[in-house]
Amino acid sequence: MIASFHQIVYFVRTAVGGLRASPLPTLVSIATIALAVVPLGGLLIITGNMGALLHRHGESRQVTAFLDADLTPDAESALARRAAELDDVTRVELVTREAALERFRERLGGGALLDALEENPLPASIEVTLASGAARGAAAEAAAAALRALPGVEEVAGGEAWVEGYARALALVRSAGLALGAILAVATLLIVANTVRLAVYARRDELEILALVGASRTFLRVPYLIEGAIQGTLGGMLGVGLLYALFQIAVPQLGDALDLFLGWSQPEFLSSARSALLVASGAGFGLLGATLAVARTRVS
Amino acid sequence: MNGRGPVGPPRSGPVRSPATRRAGGDPLIRLFHVSKSYGPGSVALRDLSVEVRKGELVFLSGPSGAGKTTLMKLLFAAERPTEGQILVLGRNVARLGERRIPALRRRIGVVFQDFKLIQTRSIEENVALALQVLGRPPREVRSKAFAMLRRVGLQHRRHELPAALSGGEQQRVALARALVNEPAILLADEPTGNLDAELTIEIMDLVAAAAARGTTVLVATHDQALIRRYARRTLRLAGGRLLEDIPGGSI
Repeated sequence: MIASFHQIVYFVRTAVGGLRASPLPTLVSIATIALAVVPLGGLLIITGNMGALLHRHGESRQVTAFLDADLTPDAESALARRAAELDDVTRVELVTREAALERFRERLGGGALLDALEENPLPASIEVTLASGAARGAAAEAAAAALRALPGVEEVAGGEAWVEGYARALALVRSAGLALGAILAVATLLIVANTVRLAVYARRDELEILALVGASRTFLRVPYLIEGAIQGTLGGMLGVGLLYALFQIAVPQLGDALDLFLGWSQPEFLSSARSALLVASGAGFGLLGATLAVARTRVS
Repeated sequence: MNGRGPVGPPRSGPVRSPATRRAGGDPLIRLFHVSKSYGPGSVALRDLSVEVRKGELVFLSGPSGAGKTTLMKLLFAAERPTEGQILVLGRNVARLGERRIPALRRRIGVVFQDFKLIQTRSIEENVALALQVLGRPPREVRSKAFAMLRRVGLQHRRHELPAALSGGEQQRVALARALVNEPAILLADEPTGNLDAELTIEIMDLVAAAAARGTTVLVATHDQALIRRYARRTLRLAGGRLLEDIPGGSI
């Protein structure tokens, strides 16, 4: 049956009326969907920010060579010049011990802790930018090895080891997110399905009367499907709202821990597209739950 | 007792009473050897063959358990026959697919003893339901519902809930809902069972008026006084069998 515009208006009005007629089950259903959306959205935020860090690092073509502490400034400059002559190196910047300390102080947002130090513990370094195409794989390894071979270079950090570990951690978080999402999805579906089933039973007489006057199966069922979708949408919106509030509260509280975890970059909330996707997922859960509920409903 | 007498189960086809044969319209309802059983030892209808023509008003009479309600349910496809064929408005109801039942019901108005009104909706909304399932524009729905309520004398109470109305008034609303779609057939199952004598006449006059306008009407009742008053064709059932098919003039 293709519904006319008037029937669609009737369906929506009936669905809204149905939701208002049973406020408590409706609120429970909306809250359940919201509570399922919050952890899922939280995982999306975490994986999104971790992914962004990995992406930034992948894009970065920088390798850092840390220098012996007892090198003179002239020797450090000479090393920087030799590094600039290596293959695939496009840019070299010498970061003196004083400059390194100043950067660290800026990142920490103050220097009370550093002021207590009697001696600067940071080494000087040479930040080498590689040509694009040489930032990953064998070319990056070769550039790092050439830097490591220079006398006066104590250690070279291209980040390969931690990047790999970080990527594994991200994959683990994503897998955990999928598993959690699946469990929450099933629980949410069951609760929405039960809410809609209760609504169907509460209005069984009404459905019977509608069937008597010639209402089709579609006509009888569509309002319940709309009810489910409305509950899902409201639950999704509430969930995203809660998540945003939690994000605003939690990020300043976690502060330094997040800085270390996310590499001194400001954590970002979900993009508009991802927020919309979460709300749409809520609507989808609601619709699917309602479909499950009415699939077995039989009115003679 | 001209044209009146026991009716056996003629295997050749539905019974036509003399009154039926005189009626000019086509048969809208035809039952061929219809039986309905709800399980072993629970037979509601046995080998029923009968025919009802366009514009007839026919009473189904008989005691409780005679099979009147079962026959009504078979006609609007709320039940399926165990045996036999049923043609309603040219459709074989015995074989009608689930998806085709709504289209059949839109051409049949049904009235019950307990009114079957939606208590949470106004009088007007209850009457409008029969038009809304057809997807009619709201303006048409309102105007037809209003006209129908005026016909049954309840237009001034259209915004009230059913609970605010008396039994007779609620049955008038149910009748308005059944007729608002101008159905070809009106089935009324004990429509006056809950009403006093005065209200019974009021409701039956409305039913008879529908028949006079060309609607085929079947009224199930055990009220013999009502049958005598209107003196229309009467199918007398007992124990699921058709005992007599009495033409109107003979009553």
